[in-house]
Amino acid sequence: MLNYFPNTSVTHGMGNQFKPFAIQMVTKMGFQFSAMLIALLTIMLGSGAIASELESGLIQGILSRPIQRYQYILGKLGGLVILACTYATLLFSLILVIGAFFGLSTITSLTFSQIITGWLLYLLLPVAVLCLTLFGSVSLKAVSNGILMIFIYILGNVGGMVEMIGQYVSNNSVIGTGIFISLISPFQTIYSTMERVMVPNSELAASAMSAASLSGSGKPASLWMFVYIAIYMLGFVMLAIRKFSSKDIT
Amino acid sequence: MIIETHALTKKYGNKTACDQIGLSVEAGQVYGFLGRNGAGKSTCIKMLTGLVFPTSGSGTVLGKPLGDVSAREKMGYLPELFRYQDWMTGLDLLSFHAQLFKLKNKKDQISRVLKLVGLVGQENYKVGSYSKGMQQRIGLACALLPNPQLIFLDEPTSALDPFGRKDVRDIIVSLKDEGTTVFLNSHLLSEVEAVCDSVTFIHKGKVVKSARMDELLMTKILLTIRANGLTEELFAKMNKQHESLQKLADGSLTVSLNDYEEIPALASSLVSNGVTLYELTPHRETLETVFMQIVGEEGQSS
Repeated sequence: MLNYFPNTSVTHGMGNQFKPFAIQMVTKMGFQFSAMLIALLTIMLGSGAIASELESGLIQGILSRPIQRYQYILGKLGGLVILACTYATLLFSLILVIGAFFGLSTITSLTFSQIITGWLLYLLLPVAVLCLTLFGSVSLKAVSNGILMIFIYILGNVGGMVEMIGQYVSNNSVIGTGIFISLISPFQTIYSTMERVMVPNSELAASAMSAASLSGSGKPASLWMFVYIAIYMLGFVMLAIRKFSSKDIT
Repeated sequence: MIIETHALTKKYGNKTACDQIGLSVEAGQVYGFLGRNGAGKSTCIKMLTGLVFPTSGSGTVLGKPLGDVSAREKMGYLPELFRYQDWMTGLDLLSFHAQLFKLKNKKDQISRVLKLVGLVGQENYKVGSYSKGMQQRIGLACALLPNPQLIFLDEPTSALDPFGRKDVRDIIVSLKDEGTTVFLNSHLLSEVEAVCDSVTFIHKGKVVKSARMDELLMTKILLTIRANGLTEELFAKMNKQHESLQKLADGSLTVSLNDYEEIPALASSLVSNGVTLYELTPHRETLETVFMQIVGEEGQSS
């Protein structure tokens, strides 16, 4: 993109004026696609984590041993969180290394605190997806769960977009709809907060990408939204434990 | 009693899988649990092992209420549809289950069960590469790991060849000798007959009969008769006295008697009616014939 835009007729002559904008877009794209990849991989990992063991009967040999059902759920969650976070850390580091290698100012100007905050928010995304997916894995078959989770994840992206459109047209009911969707699927909120930390002052680049990828976000998320996300995650883990604890293993 | 249940019932929607099951299993015996496919045997075993929650009723296993996790420390279970992590080696799988059982002397227990099920030398291969019989053996090994006081075996020989079945029979006998209670669900009635001390028959979710094996098989004598000159009229007359009298395809007759003392009277009656007797062979009833009678009668009456 950095090579492409300067040569187009639209940007011809803009030279250095356009470069920071293109760099922001490239950095955002890197984070956006990697975050989407992480989320989808997490859904793939989590959707069958329990459902496939229930379907195959493998779980019978495990749950007939002296372990509590909540231990099984928390064990699964713990293992998957470690796996997803390791992969997410790897991708996050790669983006930083590649960005630094090509001398992208968005990456080279990052402070240590920005990197740590951004990394933690980047990790929060797969963990939040896992909490919801695990509940789905207890309740649904692996394939149905995977499809539903992908739908909910995409819904979150659309929610951010709807909220942003609402802000553009100054329509409170549209903004409210966007926020409501974000409450059902808060993953885009986590991502956009991470993006704001890692690529600050890039509203124009965000708008350009939102139009192209049907995703976006409105205002920065408040602290209360993160309290809600914590309750959301904990709630779904509790629901998964509650449902699984009374489930017949047939 | 190592297992005791009272009116244990499991319903799935409108369907009743187990209906008012009452079991009393004494410690140290091999207990057979018999019934047709879909009779509710596996559901009942799953309730006893804590995998399925009863809709109503109560029970204790190893002195603990159903579903109590601590009871499983000394309980083994080999599921009917055995399936294990096929990416693990046999040794990994046993180590994993030893951890689930929180065993202290893991290595000793693993080598003990490997020897017991005849998988020494195969433990470093992946479970996915095992034959069905070997997978059943490794499943049995997992169930035997904690040196259980009570072991549930749900169709433990379904994938085994005759040699494997004999090995499992021998394991069951040795477990009994060590004082372990074995709860056996099998369709191979000859196997059940050979090893079980007591049996319970279950049909359409209900217990239809429970008895000690010797009492069950001692009660009836099956008599095979080869004779010539038996008229239809005489057959009908005898059938009124002995309802179980049947004519087989090869022309011989079978009749179920309560006592050996009935044989001379029957022979005398046949001879006095002009029948020439060639053979009168009494057999003890097999578990298969008893099973057919009990479950068959219940099937007709329901």
